[in-house]
Amino acid sequence: MKRVLIVDDASFMRMTIGMMLKKHNFEIVGEAENGIEGVRKYKELNPDIVTMDITMPEISGIEALKQIREFDPKANVIMITAMGQEALVREAVMNGAKSFLVKPFKEEQLINVLNKILGV
Amino acid sequence: MTELYGNEPMMEMFLFETSQLIEQLEQLIISCEKSGHYTEDTINEIFRIMHTIKGSSSMMMQDSISAISHSIEDLFFFLRENKHKVINNSAISDLVLEGIDLIKVEIEKLKNGDKADGNTSELQDRIKSFLADMQIDTSSQVVSELKSPDNEKQQYYLSMDKKKIIASKYKNAFKATIHFEEDCEMENIRAYTIVHNVCDITDEFFHIPENLIDDDESAGKIRQKGFQIYLKTDSSYEEVQDFFMQTLFLRELKLDQIEDSEYEQLRDAKQKMNDKEEFIASKLSEEHHEDNHEVNHEGNKEIQSISTKQNVISVNMAKLDKLMDLVGEMVIAEDMVIQNPDIKGLELENFQKAARQLQKISSEIQDIVMSIRMVPLSATFLKMHRIVRDMSKKLGKKVNLKIIGEETEVDKNVIEHISDPIMHLVRNAIDHGIEFPEERTAKNKPEEGTVTLEAKNAGNDVLVIVKDDGRGLNKEEILKKARENGLLYKAEAEMSEREIYNMIFLPGFSTKDNVTEFSGRGVGMDVVVKNIETIGGSVSIDSTPDQGSVITLKIPLTLAIIDGMNIRVGSSYYTIPTISIRESFRPQEDSIFTDPNGNELIMVRGQCFPILRLHELLKVRTDITRFTDGIITIAEQDGRTVCLFSDELIGQQQVVVKALPEYIRKLNKTKALAGCTLLGDGSISLILDITGLANIKGLA
Repeated sequence: MKRVLIVDDASFMRMTIGMMLKKHNFEIVGEAENGIEGVRKYKELNPDIVTMDITMPEISGIEALKQIREFDPKANVIMITAMGQEALVREAVMNGAKSFLVKPFKEEQLINVLNKILGV
Repeated sequence: MTELYGNEPMMEMFLFETSQLIEQLEQLIISCEKSGHYTEDTINEIFRIMHTIKGSSSMMMQDSISAISHSIEDLFFFLRENKHKVINNSAISDLVLEGIDLIKVEIEKLKNGDKADGNTSELQDRIKSFLADMQIDTSSQVVSELKSPDNEKQQYYLSMDKKKIIASKYKNAFKATIHFEEDCEMENIRAYTIVHNVCDITDEFFHIPENLIDDDESAGKIRQKGFQIYLKTDSSYEEVQDFFMQTLFLRELKLDQIEDSEYEQLRDAKQKMNDKEEFIASKLSEEHHEDNHEVNHEGNKEIQSISTKQNVISVNMAKLDKLMDLVGEMVIAEDMVIQNPDIKGLELENFQKAARQLQKISSEIQDIVMSIRMVPLSATFLKMHRIVRDMSKKLGKKVNLKIIGEETEVDKNVIEHISDPIMHLVRNAIDHGIEFPEERTAKNKPEEGTVTLEAKNAGNDVLVIVKDDGRGLNKEEILKKARENGLLYKAEAEMSEREIYNMIFLPGFSTKDNVTEFSGRGVGMDVVVKNIETIGGSVSIDSTPDQGSVITLKIPLTLAIIDGMNIRVGSSYYTIPTISIRESFRPQEDSIFTDPNGNELIMVRGQCFPILRLHELLKVRTDITRFTDGIITIAEQDGRTVCLFSDELIGQQQVVVKALPEYIRKLNKTKALAGCTLLGDGSISLILDITGLANIKGLA
């Protein structure tokens, strides 16, 4: 079972992503509601993959991505974003984000991306 | 996604979170408007809130909410990027508040199980044109920024300029055409991801469309024609194919190996096509974008200071209600055990010890459960800022809202019942109470009127006081109106000031001739009274001409558990809220007499009270009909007194108030009953409504 960490400040999004993933046999090892917590939980839980919101309080998803990649250069992080954030997504890609999903995304899109990145 | 639409917990979470964010946003906007400017922090915060709502609502396929939040997000994106710009605060606040209202309406629809189908295009258009106006204002500045000298910063996807001079070092050339999945969005950035990754296998490549970041149309072009990338590398066809196959959201890949010459040709042709100016512009705007990133970073760091860590979880209200019920049952069950008739009169030292321990714990549990349900009034109070703002703006009055004691807590159910009444009272105070600035100046009052909203604890009640320093109530006007509407219930001359003022609470009373948009939509103060009375509270009013009016709502802390005195009439049990009881006693024969109309009266310390025989009123058979055999209880609520005759007092107990079952409520035409409860021995007791009883007495 692949282990996923969900980082998002909106509990609705954490719930939605969590429900989508659980249906497809992913294990949600943790949730974080801001970047700092996200980085801390990554270090603590060492998940297979992280879904990371970009716009968050404390530190942004991009900063968290940088810190996670610094800690673990092989970290699999996919960004959760929405229209209008092209520039930020580009920055995320430059900093090693494996891919990104644009809200509203479909369940199958999320699952396909995760499976592909994890080579399932 | 469709299967998610009807997904209850998700919908619930979405509505809950969105409502919270909207409320937060409303407070932000209003405090900004007050302080006269939008700080960078708040702009960031507002942007973030709108962004979250946009994302969540689009996931829930709520297009109307997502469209509006998108528009507002755009607006604040612009403000964030152009912070030096002087902005029209008031116009922005108006637009955002309108958007908030729209979203609120949509959320309300969803809560009621309806479809959120509001028309947002009109407001969207206005936000758009407002934004366009601001953009025109700033465009000159942007241009000058663009022309600033750039520090030659080499972007790798422009790198072929350099490579052109160097002879190619790679042996294979490829042309790849990539189509992404439909609805994957941001195709240009997805293409950018490929470009970013291509750097791992080669540094000699170019692609069409060339400008992936700044060209808004690039995403559309890729969607139609696909993304073409030409590259030279030492890798084999298979390796290159493997590389591209890793692309996420890939729908179709067409990979051809091409001749070196073809590659050169295509590249040169493309080079020529690139107008030199355009090239520079793209580079410059690239620089511009870099700047933006730094701005974003600063912004994000600053948000840190204002966001607070949440140590709170949200619990479904229904669960809390259930818990409350269970605690109530537990308190009763505990009584049943400890006061069990089987052990009456037995010397059980250890049992008593254990029982006391149990009592202590259960009363602690009760306190905790009650405190869980307690919510501060602050959210309700803060909402009033919006009302004050809107009304004073529309009516042209200057009003300052002062809030005191908003941290006072009341039961969650109580809050729901008092929100609307408070809102109504605040509206009334501004509409009818506070005078226009000229009028106030003429009266030697400060131009700005003050409405004070205060909450404080008073024993088992919470007092909510709405005070204004306006013109006060006009006695003559009230009497006149009452006369016209036939509301006078006793001779004018006999009425106390308080009684006159209280007439404004009667149904069908409204002193304002012109019904305004805000107050008096056909509903008057009587609705306020009704709402407050349903939760066992009361309303009183006081007023001084030209100094203002004070309306006080007395609200019980909680609806669920009260201290009650149990009495017996025949074989039935009744409970009187202990707080209303003034005294209980067995009367002397000589203090009771009958007046010429046949009313039975009792004289207590020189005061005369008519006696209400509960067994007659409630139609209960009892052997005790002589006053000297039973007990007289004098109870008082809201300044009205009743004198009740019952068989005997059973004792005092905390009782859990339950709503009357429907069939009793239908029979309860006299309004003598407020609810029911279970006693320790499992029997049912009906809770008497003292105000209701006082009214019966008044009619008699």
